[in-house]
Amino acid sequence: MISLQDVTYRYPDALSPALNHIDLNLEAGSFTLVSGVSGSGKTTLLRLLNGLVPHFSGGVFSGTIRVAGLDPVREGPGRMSRRVGVVFQDPESQFVVDSVEAELALAMEHQGLSRTEMGVRITQVLRQLEIVPLRQRRIGTLSGGEKQRVALAAALTLQPQVLVLDEPTSQLDPQSAAQVLDALARLNHELGITVVLSEHRLERILPFIDQLIFLPGDGTLRQGTPRQLLAEVDLSSPLVTLAKCQGWSPIPLSVEEARRWVPSREPEPSVSVRTVQPKAIDSEPAEMSIQGLAYTYGENRALSDLSLQIHRGEMVALMGPNGSGKTTLLKLLAGLLKPSAGKVYLRGRDTQRLDLEEVIQTVGLVPQNPNALLFADTVAEELAFTRQSHGMDSGCPAGLLETLGISRLLTTYPRDLSVGERQRVALAAILVAEPEIILLDEPTRGVDWAQKEAFMAYLASERAHGHTVLFATHDVELVAQCADRIVLLEGGRCVADGAVREVMFAWPQYCSQIGRLYRDGHTLTPQDVREASR
Amino acid sequence: MSNQPVCWPATRNTTAWLVWVLATAALALTIRNPLYITLIVLATWLVHVQVARNTPAAANWSGLVRLGLTIWLIAIPFSALMNHQGETVLFRLPESWPLLGGPITAESVAAGAASGYSLWALLLVFATFNLAVDAAVMIQAMPAFLSQAGVITTIALTFIPRMVQDTREIREAQRIRGHRFRSWRDSVPLAMPLLTTAFEHAIQLAESIESRGLSARTMDLSARRTRLVRGALALALLALLAGLVVRLVGPPLLGNALVAGAALVLMGAFYDLERHARRTRFVHQVWTRADKAIVAISVGALAVGLGTAWARPDLTGYAPVDAASLLPAFSLVPGIAVTLLALPGLLGALGANTAPTGSEAPQ
Repeated sequence: MISLQDVTYRYPDALSPALNHIDLNLEAGSFTLVSGVSGSGKTTLLRLLNGLVPHFSGGVFSGTIRVAGLDPVREGPGRMSRRVGVVFQDPESQFVVDSVEAELALAMEHQGLSRTEMGVRITQVLRQLEIVPLRQRRIGTLSGGEKQRVALAAALTLQPQVLVLDEPTSQLDPQSAAQVLDALARLNHELGITVVLSEHRLERILPFIDQLIFLPGDGTLRQGTPRQLLAEVDLSSPLVTLAKCQGWSPIPLSVEEARRWVPSREPEPSVSVRTVQPKAIDSEPAEMSIQGLAYTYGENRALSDLSLQIHRGEMVALMGPNGSGKTTLLKLLAGLLKPSAGKVYLRGRDTQRLDLEEVIQTVGLVPQNPNALLFADTVAEELAFTRQSHGMDSGCPAGLLETLGISRLLTTYPRDLSVGERQRVALAAILVAEPEIILLDEPTRGVDWAQKEAFMAYLASERAHGHTVLFATHDVELVAQCADRIVLLEGGRCVADGAVREVMFAWPQYCSQIGRLYRDGHTLTPQDVREASR
Repeated sequence: MSNQPVCWPATRNTTAWLVWVLATAALALTIRNPLYITLIVLATWLVHVQVARNTPAAANWSGLVRLGLTIWLIAIPFSALMNHQGETVLFRLPESWPLLGGPITAESVAAGAASGYSLWALLLVFATFNLAVDAAVMIQAMPAFLSQAGVITTIALTFIPRMVQDTREIREAQRIRGHRFRSWRDSVPLAMPLLTTAFEHAIQLAESIESRGLSARTMDLSARRTRLVRGALALALLALLAGLVVRLVGPPLLGNALVAGAALVLMGAFYDLERHARRTRFVHQVWTRADKAIVAISVGALAVGLGTAWARPDLTGYAPVDAASLLPAFSLVPGIAVTLLALPGLLGALGANTAPTGSEAPQ
């Protein structure tokens, strides 16, 4: 179905090729994950499959490529659209109209299909993806997971033989991500559609795939079955890490496969139900305190009757589905929004009575989208701008750049950096003002495993300095590794607030892979297993 | 048909709405008489109230009233200061002041108020139309040969809310870094991310459009035929321009002949393009009796209004030059005609959500 022979591609003005003499063969009906570190060429490879590279990007291409019987380099993405459907990372960036039905019909209208044929195909794809009730909805009213499935449906209406997806679940909560991946698995099994996708969170995708492509970052690639390749390359999920440490062979790709190595155990009685109650507000002075907080956007209530206390040195993970109010809460804590009801206290002082300038002397918020911050010509200028705006000298706190791994990027134009590097520069652009309370909104979105480990090391160093960290995330493995406490929001309300172990075992959909494997109320990470076996 | 109840008037025939808005706007532009304008405002208000029942969040009557007052705040002083005709002198400005100097009269104030009123009525008409018809739906109803232009317009429309959202995000992100707006130089941290983000969104969308085949050719025309149609279009547009110029400076008969010839060629070219367009439509518009009635009434009201303006300019115009003519004239027939423009609102009030849908898609 997909064949690349001796393919080399170099971007305009690049010194070295992004893909260097690569060969690849994927059978029809295969389900393939493209993995590798940030900037290793994953997106380039995916875009090559429908001709976006080099038609959109320019550059120099050589070699032979065939996808579904066509040469994408010669045909171009427009003609390839009937054979190759593409879904991008951000579903909103690919919608043209604001109605689900009209969006699904759009590509078919442009191909001149009859109304009857369009109606049949729309009904089919909606059923295949189990989103029939969304047919008459406005896209603006859909959740992140629903939007991504509608984007998938829009790609399927032209009945492609190959589906190419670039990090389709990176912005989704665990439940929405599972829905999208289940839908892909159904399309793959039932219709025989060849699926090729990239994804950083291996733990989500490994159970579904039968082929793995690894790009080490030098322009080459390695291809094989997941078990074969995972044993050979530096690429792992928590479960794979544990399997390698314990010598389990063959390497299990899912929790279910790994159960044969773990003694059968009934779930702890206390963890099978949602027993975690919001943490009682105690008398210890809190860094930040929220009482009866509510916020509404127009007629939509984003937060309701929320009360919390966050203490010095705590590392709190804010979790919950897309649209549960996490970002709104962070903005309220940072003083960017004024509560509709209730109070936010910063070290005992009502933030509504403080100027934003006073709040940001103590609180730093790193937004979800690093692009909203970056404007200067160099990374060094970005950092200097924040310090000068805070009335500080332009120097940088010792060790910050090294900890974040960006000391070599100081003279680089920030927008030329990879997603992970931009994320870390945005982090530095806030932390350079040395806030004592750090709020982070989805800090590891689009970040590879190695960068995530560096980020976790940074969080550990912040905690060692007594700083307080509150971060909103969908990444359960990150939370299992480094948070002390989880505050779980649903529909704008706090439904659980407790120690990571309590909440993860009470809410299995927010539990780490190792936690779901052991179900003992204690073990959440490979380190926990190692420590228990000592 | 739809699985869910479809509410009036969001799905009423787009063409019927288009005819209604063109007729009402043309009358609001032509008529200056405040009494007829008041009837147009009341008719539009009734339609607006019915439309707003389905989109209460979008309807903002108080905002429209504030907008009207703002227009008056500009139109009245402008007319009073620039137009010194009239007998009722309120006060005088020094004659030595260029343009502004001279008497400020009640008649010029009244004329300014009438102009502002007409302008506000026009805005109200378009605000109601905007509330009633989804821009994307209207673009979908465009002729098939203009589908590429339709996609581009839709993208432009979706970009506006996205840019507003980006602007808010960027402003918040920079404020948390301590950014304050003190001089024009402080706009760089806001403008640069906005520009680059908009550019990146544009590239992403362009890639998506390309990948979905939305930029593919939509015409089944040979290269020779394409050249012929393009040449005809260019010639017709030139003839149209020349005709309009000749009407102003030369013999009107020649000007009219050129305009009419250009219009014929344009219609022929558009017909040919539409015939060869490959694009199909999923949603077809349905014409109900109510839609046909709206079109008939709108065209009728327009004909009566324009006819009155041509035959009795004293009825539709309003040019108070003395205190005796401050009160506008009124006649019943054009009054009834413009009042009938409330028909979409009356139909909504009578049939509301039980009215038949105006579009139909196969399931």
